[in-house]
Amino acid sequence: MNAAAETAPRTWRSGELAIVLLLPIALINAIGFILPVLNLARYSFNQSTAGGGIADVFTWENWTGLLRDPFYLELIFNSVWISLAITLTTLVVSYPIALYLHRSTGSWKTFLTVLVISPLLTSAVVRTYGWIALLTDNGPVLSFLRYVGLPAPSLMFNIKGVFIGLTEILMPYMILALMAGFGRLDPRVEEAARTLGATPSRTFWKIILPLTLPGIALGCLLCFVLAVSSFITPKLMGGGRVFLLATEIYDQAIVTLNWPLASTLSILVLIVFGAALWAYSVVLRRLD
Amino acid sequence: MTKMKRAFGAGIVALSLSMLTAGTAMADNVVVAGYAGIFQENYVKAVVEPFMKANPDITVEFYPMPNSAQTLGTLRAQASAPQIDAAILDVSVAKAATGEGLFAPMDESVSKHIADLYPQARIAGVNAVGVTFDNLVLLYNTGKIKQAPDSWEALWDKTYAKQVSIPAVPDIQGTTLTIIANKMAGGTNYTETVEPGLKKLEALAPNVQTWDPRPDVYQPISSGTASIGIGWNARAQVYADLSGGKLGVVLPKEGSGFQINVIGLVKGGPASESAKKFVDYALSPEAQAAFTQAMFYAPTNSKAAPLISKEAIERTAAGSMDQMIDINWLEVAKIRDAITEQWRRRIIPLSR
Repeated sequence: MNAAAETAPRTWRSGELAIVLLLPIALINAIGFILPVLNLARYSFNQSTAGGGIADVFTWENWTGLLRDPFYLELIFNSVWISLAITLTTLVVSYPIALYLHRSTGSWKTFLTVLVISPLLTSAVVRTYGWIALLTDNGPVLSFLRYVGLPAPSLMFNIKGVFIGLTEILMPYMILALMAGFGRLDPRVEEAARTLGATPSRTFWKIILPLTLPGIALGCLLCFVLAVSSFITPKLMGGGRVFLLATEIYDQAIVTLNWPLASTLSILVLIVFGAALWAYSVVLRRLD
Repeated sequence: MTKMKRAFGAGIVALSLSMLTAGTAMADNVVVAGYAGIFQENYVKAVVEPFMKANPDITVEFYPMPNSAQTLGTLRAQASAPQIDAAILDVSVAKAATGEGLFAPMDESVSKHIADLYPQARIAGVNAVGVTFDNLVLLYNTGKIKQAPDSWEALWDKTYAKQVSIPAVPDIQGTTLTIIANKMAGGTNYTETVEPGLKKLEALAPNVQTWDPRPDVYQPISSGTASIGIGWNARAQVYADLSGGKLGVVLPKEGSGFQINVIGLVKGGPASESAKKFVDYALSPEAQAAFTQAMFYAPTNSKAAPLISKEAIERTAAGSMDQMIDINWLEVAKIRDAITEQWRRRIIPLSR
């Protein structure tokens, strides 16, 4: 009786405590994120007038226009598939590095990890300019290709440049996410597979890959979200030829001053992110 | 304890004294929003500082903005409690701001100089008046192109394949080029159709290296990343000097079109009387001449020209007013979306 009387108020109090502890962050989120997003959603139903004005009338025009206009449908499709392709490329080039890092030990591992993270210490703008210097028509990469007699297609101010730049910029995120998800990969399981006569490639496909799938899913989600929302690299390396959701939002909000359309596209990006999160949770549930 | 009390008392006295003096000075702090970077640098030196010298009781704070859109965004956000007294921004954006009731009326009661402004600087339906004229020019790298081009046609020259830098629409440099190309291709009235201009630009597309030069249009050409391109005259003239002659600037023989920056009084601005005084000064022949001398924007006050050195005036469009295509930016705003659509569907894809 006494014990029950003691525990009952305690559980009530801990619930209260949870509310008190969650309140500040909930408030910050509500003011700093939820309200602005709702405001953005409201703008997406306003009408834009010539020259950048906003008329305070309710209209579906922005949304229906988006779905009727082949340019925007192509824009949405392009953003999604380019981001998916970049995510896949980032995964393929990052996976061996992450696996090697996972297996290395001691100070060597620390050194390599720092090496992988170090690009994050430089801003994406600087790294993008670095790529521009390397990949321009008279840059070292194309000069080398020409020197050895290989075809030297223009790698800058087009989709190829955006692809190369974004892949490099996203690699550290992918490697870190993969390493975080490699916890279940026990070296003894691999050894067991090899002693039981499995070839290295069979060990990889049957043992290593399935065990690292959670890390792959996490890395892909992270890189996809970052790729869809990336703005600086496509803007600097795309040469105005690559139309993506993020660059279009910038153009509509800052250059054309069509805030209603920019808001509509922003909400659309949120919907794409929601879909990506949903796909991620489905994949995770399957894995478990 | 008494020591502390005394210190506290002295602090109170000092504080109330400073509040007293601040009270008199505060009403006369005028905040002017305008472009950041070299515009701010030169405008503060040529206009703001002389104004403050002549009016010691007024301080003017230049509030830097990256572009007109951001200025409009800030004015919108502050609509219920404005912190900015006057704003310098592009005329078509000022039209939107007027439509949303962000600007106070601008007429000869604000400044008598308005009567002396060129007609292009007085725009019906906009609560702001022209404060600078700029015009589109041809830019080229003097190391790569020895003979200065004299025509826009140089952009179409196959010698410069993949060497041309054009800021595409919706940037208004692209819009201005469309109107110029339209005139070159025989189009008569751009408000009716720009089809001839668009056709002509289709032929330009394969020559283009980038449709989005960064960080601006001037740097890639002075560094030689691109050979030739388009840009605004005032900034080009300043960067031409700074580049040590690597950046060449030409006003082509076919003429060009104006970009107009206007100045407007923010409705309900905190220091409206002093702000009016500043706007009046900004439109005066002296201030107009000083800014042209510093940064080569053409003056909007017709009485400013005699006060400007011959060398400076030759580097603006003031000497070739008759060659300018009269662009009505308020009309262009109505067809801008349609032009953008055509560029994206027909012109830019040809350069892939």
